[in-house]
Amino acid sequence: MSNTNSLILEGINLKKTYKLGRSQVPVLHAASLQIHQGQWTTILGSSGSGKSTLLHLLGGLDRPDQQGGEVLFNGESVWAKSNRQINAYRNNHVGFVFQFYHLLPELTVLENAILPTMIGGSFTTTSEAKNQAEHLLDQFGLSHRFTHRPRELSGGERQRVAIARALVNNPSILLADEPTGNLDEETGDGILDVLGALHQDGLTIVMVTHNMEIANRGDVIVHLRGGNITQLD
Amino acid sequence: MYQTLLTSRYLTSRVIPLIAVAAVALCVALVIVVVSVMTGFLDMVQSSGKTLMGDVIISNGISGIPHYEKLVNRLEKNEQVLAATPIVDGWGLLRMPYPNSNVKQSETVQVWGIEPKTFAKVTDYKNSLQWKNPTTNQRDWLLLDAIANNEETLQSLLSPELWIEFVDLIKSASHTLNFVEANFLENTKALLNEEQWNTVLSFDVRLSGEDALQQQGLDLSRNGKPGIVLGLHVNDGNVRMKNGTYQVSRNDYWWAPRFEGTLTMLPVDAKGGIIEPESIIMPFVNEFQSGVFAIDESLIFIPIDVAQSLLHMDEAKIVDLDDPATIIGVDPARSTSILIRGVPGVKGEVLREIVRTIYDDFSSSFSYETVVLPPSSHDPGLIIQTREEQQRSFTGPVEKEREVMRTLFSIVYLVVAALILSIFWSIVFEKTRDIGILRSIGASRASIVWIFLQYSAVIGIVGSFLGLFSGWLITKNINAIHDAMGNPPLSIAIVCFALSICFGTYTVVKMLKGQMLPIVLGSLGFITLGGIGGLILFIRHIGGIVVWDASVYYFSRIPNELDWGSSLFTVGGAILFCLLGALIPAAKAADTDPVKALRHE
Repeated sequence: MSNTNSLILEGINLKKTYKLGRSQVPVLHAASLQIHQGQWTTILGSSGSGKSTLLHLLGGLDRPDQQGGEVLFNGESVWAKSNRQINAYRNNHVGFVFQFYHLLPELTVLENAILPTMIGGSFTTTSEAKNQAEHLLDQFGLSHRFTHRPRELSGGERQRVAIARALVNNPSILLADEPTGNLDEETGDGILDVLGALHQDGLTIVMVTHNMEIANRGDVIVHLRGGNITQLD
Repeated sequence: MYQTLLTSRYLTSRVIPLIAVAAVALCVALVIVVVSVMTGFLDMVQSSGKTLMGDVIISNGISGIPHYEKLVNRLEKNEQVLAATPIVDGWGLLRMPYPNSNVKQSETVQVWGIEPKTFAKVTDYKNSLQWKNPTTNQRDWLLLDAIANNEETLQSLLSPELWIEFVDLIKSASHTLNFVEANFLENTKALLNEEQWNTVLSFDVRLSGEDALQQQGLDLSRNGKPGIVLGLHVNDGNVRMKNGTYQVSRNDYWWAPRFEGTLTMLPVDAKGGIIEPESIIMPFVNEFQSGVFAIDESLIFIPIDVAQSLLHMDEAKIVDLDDPATIIGVDPARSTSILIRGVPGVKGEVLREIVRTIYDDFSSSFSYETVVLPPSSHDPGLIIQTREEQQRSFTGPVEKEREVMRTLFSIVYLVVAALILSIFWSIVFEKTRDIGILRSIGASRASIVWIFLQYSAVIGIVGSFLGLFSGWLITKNINAIHDAMGNPPLSIAIVCFALSICFGTYTVVKMLKGQMLPIVLGSLGFITLGGIGGLILFIRHIGGIVVWDASVYYFSRIPNELDWGSSLFTVGGAILFCLLGALIPAAKAADTDPVKALRHE
């Protein structure tokens, strides 16, 4: 529960509207939140409340509306960057974990985990990147699964591969979008334990969920209602 | 780097790239085979014209070139010129020996008066001659003719009893020979003693002389008399078989060298008017085949001096019109054209310019006092052309036809492009979520496009070269394939039926288990293979079919040389279309909003 750590990621007055046919559907009105170094923030909201959208905006995956606020990473506006810099931001500074894992079915477990280092990455050699990926997969109990394809894995195993992939480039923040939403409770708890352990080691996490119980794992819980944030402490 | 990894995985873990490769290969092979055969046709037409044309032609209409012997001498002195030969070219009517009635048929013929010896040096005359030695039937007919023409001589040599026996043999043979082999020569030889037999042989040198027929063709004469060599299609007695060989109708009865014909030509005077027609009866000594139907059906060769005298182009004395007894000069013999052959390796255009220079020297070498001057090279009537230019009116349409065909077949390119486009569209569409994932972990748009470009390049290159290889294989073996199609071997039918039964059994087994896909595939295999087998049996039952009728298409074999230029162009085009076909959907995919792409199911 330390707010003393430095501010790393900040969303200011974020506004996002989707077009649905001819009508405009506002999802976020003026959502603001601050993420501090080493903090585990959970965003709690019912389905359709815009919590995934908020995560996408924070992760540089989706762009807020024109004059719809700003995302600041280490004090710099993410969306003011060039395309190349935004790609690098996604690749190096944030790691995404999705509800449906989103692994590439044609690649093996190890290849999936190593993929971000091949796209960009700060590793100078392939073997260095490979060591990092193997180390992470080991840590998540997947050492015997390196050459398997995602379809040969259970849901929990897939999500752990996804987490390994998200972490392989040593990002500053892990963004998790309902990481247990597609898993049974026991497996989900396992995943949350993994995240908890990572958090213990100092990882900054932003997690989206609709489940209060899961939300309680975080240091900070924010509520997303009607497109606005209400922070609960 | 990861693009290559992904590309290779996409290529190896799915069926659709195989379908795409097969589609590209089939399209490429189709275009290559069609264009190669068309090109082969054109080449055959052009090279067959070569047999009778030389490389460069000088011609001066019907008024001809006076002093042509001097020109030929000058030409032959040039080291780039292998040989030159004069031609007298004109039209005539040839009265044929058939039918067997008083009203004989006449053919309109183009007549070339040639000097056979130099003509053979300039052209492939010797090889174009059809007959070298007579066949058994032809020898028997020649023997019958020889006996009929020398009946009295022969009767005086034979005893009356032997003569009666011999006449019976002749009667029987002249009847039998119309239908089947009669062994008349052997029977006659057995009947006569050596002296009598030698006398018989002496009636016609073609009965015993080695290559006598060919020699007569090369000399354009028989027994010292000038003769005619006919184009193979001038004589209607020559019938082209389906396999491209020739048979003389009525069991060689209508074989041209047995007969003689009356040639009538129309000489033209200096003012272009027609003088009295001139006729001459000459034996047919041989026949030639140039390989071009239009030539073979109308051209005949006669000795140049005969042609000159028929056309009044021979040497004549010029008399004073006021006093016809006074000779004031000589009008030299003329030739209408001169064919020139260059030494090997000299291009037609180069040789043409050399010939033009020589002609200029020749025409300016005469003093103004000469009574008859050759035309200057600037004379519009005088034409110096390469063979290709001369033949353009003939090969031009074929060439145009090929271009039209190629244009039509370039639609196949569009089909390939559309096919590739749709295949890649579906591949990329299916991979939209992967693209979203890659974008979410930091892949740039360009790198996404690059993945699919690599993917399509591999499909394009593998497919095109596979197509090139199959096209080459099909073109090389097109005649064997054609023969097999026309008369399919029974073994293929048996294999088809065996496989069909396998498929049928498989289908029934799977049907009992209730699976759908094996039933569909199995039934398809069963019906297709069974159908092919049945078709083969049907074709065999009706005695084979002729797909390529050589008697219609003139060339007996389908051209089977690959047109490498067009083929490589096709390969390049197909690869390009593959790249384009992938570029558009890939660019579209890369532009997709990553969040939307991730939601793609």
